[in-house]
Amino acid sequence: MKGITGRDTERSCTTGAADTNTDSNGCAEVISDRNDGRVYGTTDRLFQIAGQRAAEEKTSLVKKKWYQGKPILSIGILSVILLGCLFAEVLMTKDPTYMDLINYNKAPDGEFLFGTDTMGRDIFSMIWYGGRISLLIGALSTAISTLVAVVVGAFSGAAPEWLDNLIMRFTEIFLSIPSLLLVILLQAIMGKANVLSLSVVLGLTSWTSIAKVVRTEVRQIRNSEFVIAARCMGGGFFHILWKHFAPNFLSSILFMVIMNVRSAIISESTLSFMGIGLPLEVISWGSMLSLSEKALMTSSWWMILIPGVFLVTTLLCLTNIGNYLRKSGNRRERNL
Amino acid sequence: MRKRNRALYYGKKLLIFLFSVLVLSAVVFYVARLAPGDPLVSYYGDRTEKMSPKEREWAMEKLGLDEPIHVQYVKWMQNAFHGDFGISFKYKRDVVEVIRGRIVNTLLLGGIGFLCIFVGSLLLGVFCAWHEDRWIDRILCKLGTVSSCIPEFWLSLVLILIFAVTLRVLPSSGAYSTGRANDIGDRVRHLILPLAIVTIEHLWYYAYMIRNKLLEEVRADYVLLAKAKGLNKRRILFWHCLRNVLPAYLSIMAIAVPHVLGGTFVVETVFSYPGIGALSYESARYHDYNLLMLLCMMSGILVIFCNMLSQIINEHIDPRIKASEVAETSEVTAA
Repeated sequence: MKGITGRDTERSCTTGAADTNTDSNGCAEVISDRNDGRVYGTTDRLFQIAGQRAAEEKTSLVKKKWYQGKPILSIGILSVILLGCLFAEVLMTKDPTYMDLINYNKAPDGEFLFGTDTMGRDIFSMIWYGGRISLLIGALSTAISTLVAVVVGAFSGAAPEWLDNLIMRFTEIFLSIPSLLLVILLQAIMGKANVLSLSVVLGLTSWTSIAKVVRTEVRQIRNSEFVIAARCMGGGFFHILWKHFAPNFLSSILFMVIMNVRSAIISESTLSFMGIGLPLEVISWGSMLSLSEKALMTSSWWMILIPGVFLVTTLLCLTNIGNYLRKSGNRRERNL
Repeated sequence: MRKRNRALYYGKKLLIFLFSVLVLSAVVFYVARLAPGDPLVSYYGDRTEKMSPKEREWAMEKLGLDEPIHVQYVKWMQNAFHGDFGISFKYKRDVVEVIRGRIVNTLLLGGIGFLCIFVGSLLLGVFCAWHEDRWIDRILCKLGTVSSCIPEFWLSLVLILIFAVTLRVLPSSGAYSTGRANDIGDRVRHLILPLAIVTIEHLWYYAYMIRNKLLEEVRADYVLLAKAKGLNKRRILFWHCLRNVLPAYLSIMAIAVPHVLGGTFVVETVFSYPGIGALSYESARYHDYNLLMLLCMMSGILVIFCNMLSQIINEHIDPRIKASEVAETSEVTAA
């Protein structure tokens, strides 16, 4: 009884009557119109149905403003940081690479807005100038890892069973090499670190999780009629990948791509901090923080806090945007 | 019949495990030796530059580096099977000995950290699910998101700045003060900050997973039935919902073991904590081949083993899942 009547009542309330004031009478009438002749509405009033609840009307009535539920604040802050880094030349008050040997290790004041570091460089200018490199590495390495992931994942998903198994085993082994060691080794092979080599290294060590998702999605649709039709008409692997596979898995990897940007920025700063990433002369948020050992000795908090706050704010904005992309569909009402 | 099936199942797993370890060892061996750089530097230090070609040849021969790589690899394998992993070029001692002195510290940090994460995230996740969408849950969610965005090394720096430099209550480096290696209180004081960072860094990731899984469970039909039977909220949540979530949690925590141990790496570097994190960094950078091999094999075996463990847990929960699909589902939910 509950299973059938309860559900039907709910549904007809929401779909049949747009009016919020529909009382139980209204519902009963809609239901009793069904052609088997039985009157369902009366039972509704006689017994209370367990778990029955009023239909959720709020969503249909109150029209959402365009900004509601969207991470506007995060997008705003992120664009401020992005634009600031893009037009760093306009914002900079000093030359970020110039070492002022008189004013080194100064606390923030009117002239040096964020203070200077132990080498006498102006931190305010370095923030915007260095943000470029950090964000560039984030974007570049994500582009590389996504490209590798999509090609490997789609190939593995479309390949015959044994090849697919082999590729997946290989991916697992690849995952089991500690990524930091892999980065150090790749770094050693590619020579002295620069922006490009670091992006390639980070990209090559972070593609596996996206590849797995792509593979699963491709496996689900690879035998669909439209794919077979495309193959019959002589479509190549990359054509099918781009025209048929990509639109299907794009939404499910979008979140992971954003998260990859995040982890690439984290990795870059960690590596630069430990002295195996970018050298001190190449200004990025990470390499600015590599001076922090000296800063700790002189307790110059601004050298540690300011680049870090920028770093964390950027990461936080990216996470919020990523989480928004992940949330899909409405949440059901809880039964507890 | 059933027993034989089980033996077959574990036998197959063991075979895959051995195969993976073998491939891993070969890959690491080749990559390490092909990386440019002079391994002699780590053994002879600055003297390498003054060596005549003849001396170099002799040194290479002595360390067994003059043969082709595949011969070296086979030799290494033969020795490894006898428990001989060679000597560390830098420390000039048996690598097992070098690692033995350090691994206790890492296991202590990683192990206690893992326990804190395991218990803490379970409690935190259940707490958040219980108070879904109330202010406390929202605040915790926001805080958790922020905590997961902070890079480990920066958090360490900030905590050192607060507790060691400004307040001067906790030490900022090492595992013990000089000359007080056996003082437990002193060791604990040195462990607090690194432990806090390892825990904070991973806690929310798993707590959030528990929270989301519980919220999914809470919307299932059996909860409605239990409620209709008259069970109270606490009993339903702890007795029914949590029980359904726990196996998945266990399997994810199995994958988390290497993650947490790997996470101690950065913390060890910042705090100059004498663990194996700093050791593996050194060995990769200075081509201390034997040490690097053993460390890579140890962490690699740990990762492969933990992944397999989580697969087995998953397959026991839900026999419909095939081995190959488990990794993805856990990966996706974990991400």
